[in-house]
Amino acid sequence: MHAPTSSSPGNCHRPPKGQWLLKRGNLSLLLDRAAIKRNLWLTLALCIVSLMCLGVGTLAISPVDVVNALMGQGDAMTQFVVNDLRLHRLLAGLYTGAAFSVAGCLMQTVARNRLATPGIIGIDNAAMTFAVASIVGVGISVAPSAMALTGAATATALAFIIGGGSGTRGYRFIIAGLAIGAVAAAVTQLLLAQVHIDTANEAYPWTVGSLSGRPAAQIPIMGWITLAGTVMGMVLCRHFQLMAFSDSTIMGLGHLPNRLRLSAVLVAVVLTGFAVALAGPVGLVALVGPEMARSFARHRGLPLLSSALCGAMVMVLADLAGRTLLSPIELPVGVVTAVVGGPYLLWILMRPPKRSPL
Amino acid sequence: MLTLAQFWRRAPSQRPLAPCFTALLGVLMGACVLSLLYGAGSITPTQAWQVLLGRGSSDAYFIITELRLPRTLVALVVGLSLGVSGALMQAVARNPLAEPGLLGVSAGASFAVAIALLLGASAATLTLGVAQIGALLGCLFVMAAARLQGQFKDPVRLVLAGAALTSLLTALTSILLMYDQRAADEIRFWVTGSVAGRSLDSLRSVLPYLLLASALTLYVAKPLASMALGESVALGLGHNPKTIRYIVMLVVALLAGSATAIAGPILFVGLVVPFVARALVGPDIRRTLILCLPIGPLMIISADILTRLIAQPAEMPLGVLTAIVGAPILMMIVRAKRLPTLS
Repeated sequence: MHAPTSSSPGNCHRPPKGQWLLKRGNLSLLLDRAAIKRNLWLTLALCIVSLMCLGVGTLAISPVDVVNALMGQGDAMTQFVVNDLRLHRLLAGLYTGAAFSVAGCLMQTVARNRLATPGIIGIDNAAMTFAVASIVGVGISVAPSAMALTGAATATALAFIIGGGSGTRGYRFIIAGLAIGAVAAAVTQLLLAQVHIDTANEAYPWTVGSLSGRPAAQIPIMGWITLAGTVMGMVLCRHFQLMAFSDSTIMGLGHLPNRLRLSAVLVAVVLTGFAVALAGPVGLVALVGPEMARSFARHRGLPLLSSALCGAMVMVLADLAGRTLLSPIELPVGVVTAVVGGPYLLWILMRPPKRSPL
Repeated sequence: MLTLAQFWRRAPSQRPLAPCFTALLGVLMGACVLSLLYGAGSITPTQAWQVLLGRGSSDAYFIITELRLPRTLVALVVGLSLGVSGALMQAVARNPLAEPGLLGVSAGASFAVAIALLLGASAATLTLGVAQIGALLGCLFVMAAARLQGQFKDPVRLVLAGAALTSLLTALTSILLMYDQRAADEIRFWVTGSVAGRSLDSLRSVLPYLLLASALTLYVAKPLASMALGESVALGLGHNPKTIRYIVMLVVALLAGSATAIAGPILFVGLVVPFVARALVGPDIRRTLILCLPIGPLMIISADILTRLIAQPAEMPLGVLTAIVGAPILMMIVRAKRLPTLS
């Protein structure tokens, strides 16, 4: 038992149990072995689910044929169905699911309340309203994504202002968001009532959340946004974890609490805004994804990557269920997640209170 | 004689009830006349006024009696039901945020109606009964939720549970609607919440239920006031809190179910009306209930007039307007320094 001599840089500290230490010059990184293993398993599961999604449908395709078609082999019909029809939809689901889930995880951390997901505090609905406004055309012809982003930012700012910050009275923040969401939903209805019935019918699946027939050009952009948001979240993850503590503790550790919150909220808002513009308000993924990830993760960290993987999986599975369960009719993914996520949310609210990690 | 300034200076629970009620009744009458003067049909307000005075062309007479009068009466009944059911629900849940619309009672009624339409029902009377049953189930759920959480500790949690229930039921309703195009066509005009184009027949079928509900309300008003002091006090005064609670739930289901069956789900009215009534005359449920009688219809009728005026020649859905008015009030209640617990 001797005190480590900090003067010699070559003196390597042994990493804590169950962790790997990556060291290069002045930089070092601790990797949790359990987390890596968990994420690898989740990725594997996600791959299997994705293959299943590409194979299942009106035209059933075996997994081997799916892989072949993805490689550019096999007959033209299969290639068309897999690469042109189903792959777009799958990718849209993966990207938006991951985006919603990461945004949910971050918002939950900022508000210190697992119910404070973007869907519940009205960000989804507001983004939807703005996006619909840009389509219905109230004289502004900006791309729906930009408008959705504006809407998301507006709703978040309003929720924080009206809710009086995200302090200990987290529920006040949530109710403020709930009210904002209700108003936004009403305005969306109002906007849809102004347009021709065919336009309104066309927009309907999107306003409840759907992955069907999304513009292909937006999907890669969504992919980059999701990737950027997730990576940024992971880089800042260590700091974001501090938000579980009191403000004075955060300051004592050398961080500015408000700046931390602002950066986390910004990432969440951008992710949610773009995801809503693409897939509509499928907000409950943001509740279920992080919750799933947390139940897989043993210790109390901020399982951001696992959240992204779980969210993507939930979204894709919900879309698969919506496509296949009532087969000739296609249920929008938003409806499926509401049916599954609603009871889950109720269960969270009803169960006897216990100390939650947030 | 009490001047207005003196009236305001008193604490709400010290204010005299009768002048307040009379004034609101007067305003309500004015709103009703306005609602008859401005609205659908190509007659000017002057012509409409002449009809009201008993002389006017037969066209104008037709428009007033067949189009505008039913609409005004429907708005009156819907406002009355929603306002009173909101006040009752808040009293029994001891929660200023409880409201049939927010807590999923209206959504329960809509869901039940959607199922009935899917099974092939189309008669208005059947729809009414089904909507009331749906509302009753919604009420039971809300109360179960409130009980499960222990003594109504957290007012906000209940609202969240209601929001979750509402979104679940809405999703299920939309699945049903996608399943059946006919039902979808029948229900679409109804699901946004409006008092336009409802006939007097629907009112006639609702009337017996409203009478039953008002009789029950008279019966429970006093016990409810004692329950506000705590269950043990109510027990000591010879009331059975459990029975009272069930009766109140029944009344709320009758009222909210009828209102939803006529006008579709209209949010926030049951929240705003008792809030205003409490601000005027204090938290005693008996006084609040009496004031809810004029305030509820007043809110719906003035909102209905606004929906006609704002987006002429088209109309704005009534539910949208009440949401836009009601949401800020919800925030106001939540933003209050201390969440009032109504106990």
